[in-house]
Amino acid sequence: MAEDLVLDTAIRDWVLIPLSVVMVLIGILRYFVSKLMLSSQLPDPKIVKEGQVIVRARNLRAAANFIPPKSFRSRRVYFSNEENGLLFVPKGQAQNPQAQMFSDPNMAMDMMKKNLSMIIPQTLTFAWVNFFFSGFVAAKIPFPLTQRFRSMLQNGIDLSTVDVSYVSSRSWYFLNLFGLRGLFSLILGEENATDDTQRMMQMSGFGFDPSKSLGAEKDGLDIVQHEWALPKFEHRAEAALKKLIK
Amino acid sequence: MVSKTEETQLNSLENQVDNGGGGAWEYLCLVRKLKVRRSDKVFKYGLSILNDPKKRSALGPEEWTLYEQVAIAALDCQCLDVTKDCIKVLQKKFPESKRVGRLNGMLLEAKGSWAEAEKAYSSLLEDNSLDQVIHKRRVAMAKAQGNISEAIELLNKYLEIFMADHDAWRELADIYVSLQMYKQAAFCYEELILSQPTVPLYHLAYADVLYTLGGLENLQTAKKYYASTIDLTGGKNTRAPFGICLCTSAIAQVSKGRNREDKESPELQSLAATALEKDYKQRAADKLGLLTSALRSMKF
Repeated sequence: MAEDLVLDTAIRDWVLIPLSVVMVLIGILRYFVSKLMLSSQLPDPKIVKEGQVIVRARNLRAAANFIPPKSFRSRRVYFSNEENGLLFVPKGQAQNPQAQMFSDPNMAMDMMKKNLSMIIPQTLTFAWVNFFFSGFVAAKIPFPLTQRFRSMLQNGIDLSTVDVSYVSSRSWYFLNLFGLRGLFSLILGEENATDDTQRMMQMSGFGFDPSKSLGAEKDGLDIVQHEWALPKFEHRAEAALKKLIK
Repeated sequence: MVSKTEETQLNSLENQVDNGGGGAWEYLCLVRKLKVRRSDKVFKYGLSILNDPKKRSALGPEEWTLYEQVAIAALDCQCLDVTKDCIKVLQKKFPESKRVGRLNGMLLEAKGSWAEAEKAYSSLLEDNSLDQVIHKRRVAMAKAQGNISEAIELLNKYLEIFMADHDAWRELADIYVSLQMYKQAAFCYEELILSQPTVPLYHLAYADVLYTLGGLENLQTAKKYYASTIDLTGGKNTRAPFGICLCTSAIAQVSKGRNREDKESPELQSLAATALEKDYKQRAADKLGLLTSALRSMKF
């Protein structure tokens, strides 16, 4: 079907714009609600220490060539030796972070609160969109798409001959969901709780996995070849002084 | 560390405010951001803003941060009454606040009532054992009371958890140097070099400590670090060429009979000496005589 459908401008006035406005307002509302429900979570000392260990190990790796070889070697042993090295996590002890997360009641409550504040408005808005704005073509996407997208974008429209570029309002809802993040960071400042996409990515990479990052740092440290950069500096100092004297 | 641009910005703002050109609030914000210690100016200008109700209401929610900043500056200038007033205002607005509790602890510290301050801090630490600022205040208290060994112990315990805090490493290095525990100080300076390898200050301090420790290997390493300081500062540092001359002559003394494997050391020493002479001629011509005689005595 290559003909152009003419869409009523009333659709734009009464569907697209109100939907965007409603989503912006709901986002702002969620931001203020999250500010109210802010609970100060006490950081776990073990996790803080591990974070700092990782920073220190990373510094060691990055600037290893600036300290004498003996100091570097002693530090490397300190970090990765088998008995009490800081980075060494024996295999049995590697805790399952998920289990840890659920066993700690405070953390579980926090997770639940954050998830709820995201899921409930999304579900409600989605249901509202479906109820009121389904069954008609809402917009035309300016670029052509393949047939695969038909089921995703044309959900309420039961005609299989309509061009896939004509989408229903559900797809406008999803577009707004992901696209308004930029707008929110302008209006509300950098840290806002409406960052759903980030939260969704965080949920998939569940929590801070200390044992894996420690192991990774240890491997990185073992690989480093120490090449003391200081002798080079003597030559460079000479050159600098020569230039200064001239 | 404060960068060059930030430093010039701070100085120009300071001049502007000192000469009555306004801009006090920007100056105070910059001081807060850079964490520099300009307590007398902060005290003067902050207090003038706070005492003027019009300017105070113009600040909005930032007013409370200003109260905190002025309270700490007043402590530094020993105007404890002003601090007490500020804390009272803050406590009315934020009862049960840990930050206000911390200010109370600092007030007790400034008054000299160490035991009460220690009690206040430990109760705050019970609520949140990972508050970095309170740990550091305890170290400062131990140091102020002259109890250096306890300060070292507290600082070491702090660093066991927060080992990426380079200010703490710096403080520990200073304490060790004051106690002449040079090997431990060298370790701390190595940590500092690791975290910030392009800051010439740490290279210089490390070289000083190594030179003080003595021994052929340390002297050679010290010479290399003086050289890296020269390189990092583009030759502008005066202490480093001195260090190089001293190291070279010390190495020559230590390894009198053995053959030295210095490929470039004679050049480096003579270059350093020439650079020093040029610098002195430019900046302190009357001391040039002293310099040349000192260098000559080192050059045998």
